Amino acid sequence: MGEKEESNEPQSLNPASNQEEGILDKLEKKAKKYLRGNKTNLKNLRDKKLKGQLEVREKIYGNTAKVAARAEEWLKPSEEGLLEPENPLERTYRIQQSSILPEVDVLSVSKAFDMKLPDLGPYTIRYLSNGRYMLLGGQKGHLAMIDVLKMDCIKEFQVKERVRDVVFLQNDQLFAVAQKKFTYVYNRHGTEIHCLKDNQHPLKLEYLEKHFLLVGTNNFSQLHYQDISTGQVVANYRTGLGPTSVMSSNPYNSIISLGHSGGKLTMWKPTSGKPLITMLCHHGPITAVAYHPSGNLVATAGMDKKVKIWDLRKFESIHSIPGHAQTLDFSQKGLLALANGSRIQVWRDKGDQDFGLYMTHSIPKGYQVGTVKFRPYEDVLGLGHSMGFSSILIPGSGEPNFDSWVANPYETSKQRSKKEVRALLDKLPPESIMLDPGSIGMVRERQRKEKLTKREIEQQMVEAVVEVKSNVEIKNKTKGRNKPSKRAKRKQEEVFNAKKPFLEKQRETKEGPPQKKRRVLLEVAEDLPKSLQRFAKKKPM
Amino acid sequence: MADSTEKNRKKQKRTKAKAVESTFLSKTRKPEKKGKRKGRDNDQRKRRGGGPRLPNVLRQELGLDAKRNSSSDSDSEGGEDVRDFYELDEEVAQEESGKNRRFDEVENYQYELPDDFEDEEVPSDEGEDDSDKSEGEDQRDKEDGERHLRMLQDITGIPKEAFDGEKKKREEVLLSQADVRSEIVTIHDLLAPLQGMPGYSSLRKRVLQQEKQPMTLQAPLPKSERDKVQRKVSDKFARKEITKWEGVVKRNREAPTLFFEQDQNLGYSTVGAIASGFEPRTEFEKQMAQLRQDPELVEAYKNDGAKMLELNKVSVKDVIDRQNRLAKMRSLLFRHEMKAKRIKKIKSKTYHKIKKKERQKAASAELEMNPEAAKQQAIKQEQKRAEERLTLKHKNSSKWAKRILKRGLDVQDDATRAAIAEQLQKHEELKRKMNSMNNNESSTDEESSDDDDEEEDESKRALKALNKAKEKTAKVLEEGDEAPKKGLFALPFMERGLKKRQEEAYEEARQALEDYDATLNQLQDEGEEGEEETQQNSSAVKMTGKRTFGPAKKPVAQEYNKRKRLDDFGKDSDSEEEDGEFDEPVPQIIEDKNDKTEGVQLGTALLDEEQVMAQHAIFRNLDDMEKAVGPKTSYEVAIFAGDSFRKVRSDSGHSNKATTSSVIHTSKPSHETKETDQSYETDSDTEMVEGFLTTNLITDQKPDYELPSQAELVRRVFAGDDVAAEFERDKLETLNEENPEPEKPALVPGWGQWTHVQKKKGLPDWMVREHEEKKRKRGEALKKRKDAKFDHVIISETINRKAEKLMATSLPFPFTSKEAYEGNMRMPIGPDFNPASALSALNRPEIIKKPGLIIQPIEYEEVDPDETHDQPKRIIQGAKPKQSSKEKSKKGKLSNKLVPKTLGKKVKST
Repeated sequence: MGEKEESNEPQSLNPASNQEEGILDKLEKKAKKYLRGNKTNLKNLRDKKLKGQLEVREKIYGNTAKVAARAEEWLKPSEEGLLEPENPLERTYRIQQSSILPEVDVLSVSKAFDMKLPDLGPYTIRYLSNGRYMLLGGQKGHLAMIDVLKMDCIKEFQVKERVRDVVFLQNDQLFAVAQKKFTYVYNRHGTEIHCLKDNQHPLKLEYLEKHFLLVGTNNFSQLHYQDISTGQVVANYRTGLGPTSVMSSNPYNSIISLGHSGGKLTMWKPTSGKPLITMLCHHGPITAVAYHPSGNLVATAGMDKKVKIWDLRKFESIHSIPGHAQTLDFSQKGLLALANGSRIQVWRDKGDQDFGLYMTHSIPKGYQVGTVKFRPYEDVLGLGHSMGFSSILIPGSGEPNFDSWVANPYETSKQRSKKEVRALLDKLPPESIMLDPGSIGMVRERQRKEKLTKREIEQQMVEAVVEVKSNVEIKNKTKGRNKPSKRAKRKQEEVFNAKKPFLEKQRETKEGPPQKKRRVLLEVAEDLPKSLQRFAKKKPM
Repeated sequence: MADSTEKNRKKQKRTKAKAVESTFLSKTRKPEKKGKRKGRDNDQRKRRGGGPRLPNVLRQELGLDAKRNSSSDSDSEGGEDVRDFYELDEEVAQEESGKNRRFDEVENYQYELPDDFEDEEVPSDEGEDDSDKSEGEDQRDKEDGERHLRMLQDITGIPKEAFDGEKKKREEVLLSQADVRSEIVTIHDLLAPLQGMPGYSSLRKRVLQQEKQPMTLQAPLPKSERDKVQRKVSDKFARKEITKWEGVVKRNREAPTLFFEQDQNLGYSTVGAIASGFEPRTEFEKQMAQLRQDPELVEAYKNDGAKMLELNKVSVKDVIDRQNRLAKMRSLLFRHEMKAKRIKKIKSKTYHKIKKKERQKAASAELEMNPEAAKQQAIKQEQKRAEERLTLKHKNSSKWAKRILKRGLDVQDDATRAAIAEQLQKHEELKRKMNSMNNNESSTDEESSDDDDEEEDESKRALKALNKAKEKTAKVLEEGDEAPKKGLFALPFMERGLKKRQEEAYEEARQALEDYDATLNQLQDEGEEGEEETQQNSSAVKMTGKRTFGPAKKPVAQEYNKRKRLDDFGKDSDSEEEDGEFDEPVPQIIEDKNDKTEGVQLGTALLDEEQVMAQHAIFRNLDDMEKAVGPKTSYEVAIFAGDSFRKVRSDSGHSNKATTSSVIHTSKPSHETKETDQSYETDSDTEMVEGFLTTNLITDQKPDYELPSQAELVRRVFAGDDVAAEFERDKLETLNEENPEPEKPALVPGWGQWTHVQKKKGLPDWMVREHEEKKRKRGEALKKRKDAKFDHVIISETINRKAEKLMATSLPFPFTSKEAYEGNMRMPIGPDFNPASALSALNRPEIIKKPGLIIQPIEYEEVDPDETHDQPKRIIQGAKPKQSSKEKSKKGKLSNKLVPKTLGKKVKST
């Protein structure tokens, strides 16, 4: 029973040329990722100039992708180290934390710890997006912010109220707490900054980073969007499906998913009062939802003793794990953690969306895990449970290379404030939340009801005329009615008839009501006695 | 000479106005021809004050001045006065008519005379018409006609028989009386006194020749045609001028970015470059240079080099081999070159002469026979004329001519003058409007006849020469057939080139041979030469057997191709078969997959995992519960519970009528819902909406139950919730909301129809049809929905107005297809998404220049048309071409010519 950091490079001793080829292949693969889709097919383009321009463009794109792929080598030097069995009979899920800890470095050892907080539990936890800070929220009003990098408690205080959920806002400076009646916003020193009274009796909170939106569900089965940069309530919708505390946001498109008691999963955006997608996921109430970082997969746990992983592109369950789960979470590298009672399982995509059990862990019996959260940029899984908090090591869960432009665990206060300003400038409007954010900037399909332009009407008319001309069949008539002139006339009539509706349409688009003229006439006539008014001529003005 | 040029100019004017050609040619030739009449020329000049009148001039030249004393003298003078007046009028009239003719060219040709035209002198330019007319008139008119004819003859160098057949006879009569009637002077009369003088025989010969040749004047092309030709030529020139910019402009347009830079040429960059331009100036330097170029030293240096070469250790054998090879190649090349040259250049003058004659003859014959060819010829000549008029190539515009004119013609020697005159003549010749093709011939005939003085043995000599030439060509042909089989020429491309050239040469030689034969035969018919030569000829002809190269290989290649194609075809079929083979297993796999997924859903196939679960006993609580209850009882309970629950529901009254009520009576095991799925997918939409109902009815008919599995039991536990049914209902609702069901057609009494009819017939047809149509449309809409395939998903299709502003309403300008636009948009170009090194290329502006830099006007330069211009272009302004660039431009001759030196500009491609 051993463990080993996996490396993707081939172990066998290949000849140099083979290796080189492999490197080239790899580079190409990477470049393909950076090309962001297939090359445009320009063969059908008739415009030579445009074609030339686009070809040049494509070439530049190709070069850019290659450069990016090459840069990746330096920007992403390390890869996640997963547990790897040495022989086919060995199972990684049999490896216990106790056997991992002696093998890893001192720093990592310090990351696995337990905090016993028996009085004010059960605890919910939340990490900041850069993985540096952690919020602990005890149900009985205990709030604590911890710097997990330095293992330093920044602030710990009591709100003396029921705490249902905690969430970091844009950075470690502010966090929101769903308390008994309202949502409160505190700063890192524990000072209450805001009391958001719009959302009463909040159950669950979620924060959309790019949109500066705080999303909450409440006891009245409402979904509440509030912009925390302006304080504006962006949307407040009734779900009509009962109060729920199962909520998760899609990291790809910021769509909010709610799990309901009817086994339904609904997906929401702030600009639509009806769910975009409703999925029947389970035959019982949904207990937890989590999104894969790619946004394509969603895991749901239901009371029907199943945990399902869905592919949102096909709306199909690609994997079903038997068992209950109170809480689910996907790590940055796609490991799925699920917890039921005192037992925790971690599942891993073995490739081709084939999930297999990766690790298991159990905390002392009787502890009930409330929340599992992977710590970003670290191979750590945090567990908030009824007796406090514990963190365990899950090798290969976190993203090994952080991008300091996206999230920097080691950022200075200056960097932090700069980033905040930048994020505010780059803030996305709530409308930009949609199922396919890739469609932003693309040409939208014309709706049926929209008015046609003049040109389109003309085009349609021409088409209709052509059709009539080709199809027109004039009967042979007798007694001088079959003269060529008459036939021509009939044909013309047919054509005119075909044109008529389009001409009318055109007229409609052109004409406005002729009221103005009339009014002028009336004004002139006002001076005259009523009987003579109708003879009044409009003076040339 | 200056006078003559002046004359020419005047003549030109006149010829333009009157559409009479060919006057000045003879004019310019005159001073050479009849130099002895200079004294008279002075006279003529005096008389010509008003403007040169052709007939007059001619008459004088023809020696009619003797008659001037007599009655005709005063007449002519009077006539001259009148003519002067007339000339003015006439010119205007002609011009006007010329203008008019632009509009009806068909009826009124230039060479025809206007009806009301009466003049004794002027129409004489026009030729036959007038002479015909004059026949019936009085003597004076006749004389005029004669004069005119003569004049024509003299101008064109063609016997007057050509102008009129009838006239010919009469003239002969007149000829015999030439001495009697002094008024009619023929060329023969003029020749008579010259008899015995040197050159007389040649002159006479020429005259005779001219008389022999028939002559028809070609009608000048109509104006429109001429204009067309003119336009064509000028268009060609203009196009050339304009299109030369195309490459530059295209390149600049297509380059994604243009850099404009100021030239910062700092001069020589290397020591070597500086040293190469060194020239010895001082004494010391010169001495040093001398030393360096001392042959002994150079020799020594070379020897040293040779030693060093030896050190290089190239094996002797190799070197020798190489040398041999090179020598062989060289000799092969040389020999081939020589051969090619010989074929190309058959220098026999006689051969050329005869060939030329032949060609002309054929051409003239064709001209006479074939109006099409005549037209072609006319067009060709017109084109040449237009070109000449455009370029003025022969109008003393060359550097040489200018220099000579600048110095003064009088100072020059005769040869130069002659050369200048010749050039001018050529210019005139080319510029002149087309009339006769035979003028040129006459001049060539002059030359040719000058060469051989004796006419008697001409034919003999021609025969001999012909035979000789023929033999030679035959020989060459024979030799030319050998193709080298080794060395450089064995290379395929060389072979091809050789073959081509050989074939050309061969063709030429063969042509020549044929020509020889033809001429020989002709000559033999005429003369009575021996048959030996003909035998020789025939043998020569036989000897020139034609060997064939080339095409023999072709069929093989074709066959190969065919076979290959066949192979391909076979392969294709093979591959198709393979495809078929591949195709078959695919569905199996899919089925397998289906099975798997089913298994997954049912949770039966995951026994091992279940075991694992059991080991850890995480998920115990529910399992325990189930076990405690036991299978049978729970199943019954579930059935009962479900039914009762549903009944309650139905009582509570969902107003969704039959469909929902029928739902209520069913319990739905999983596999049965599967069935509904299938029907959902396959059946039409109307059924799809109600598919729920029908399939459930089917399930009702299934009475027998089997022992439920564990998973099913779990499902049964939650059967009370009946989540699926609820979801179905929800989906139906949303479907109805987004695609509302059409209202059932209802009858409003008294509307639309007569009451009794309505009652009898039920709903009117149109209502039913409308309803059907609506239903159909709804069905289609439902089918098109994204969630039509999934029974567990509802995808809202309401349009979000707020998000629409983030999309483009129509394609932005340069794009014509959505696909291209979206493809172009897919790539982010911001600094957050791209490495810094690639970023600049992604959003580089179209033009980059430093502030303050003035962009100079575009300059011409050679551009390779095949070059792709997708690279950013660097344009360096004001750069002087460096040494290296000069050398380059020397290689490309064209570029050197076309780029003006002052505008030298260098463009680097990066």
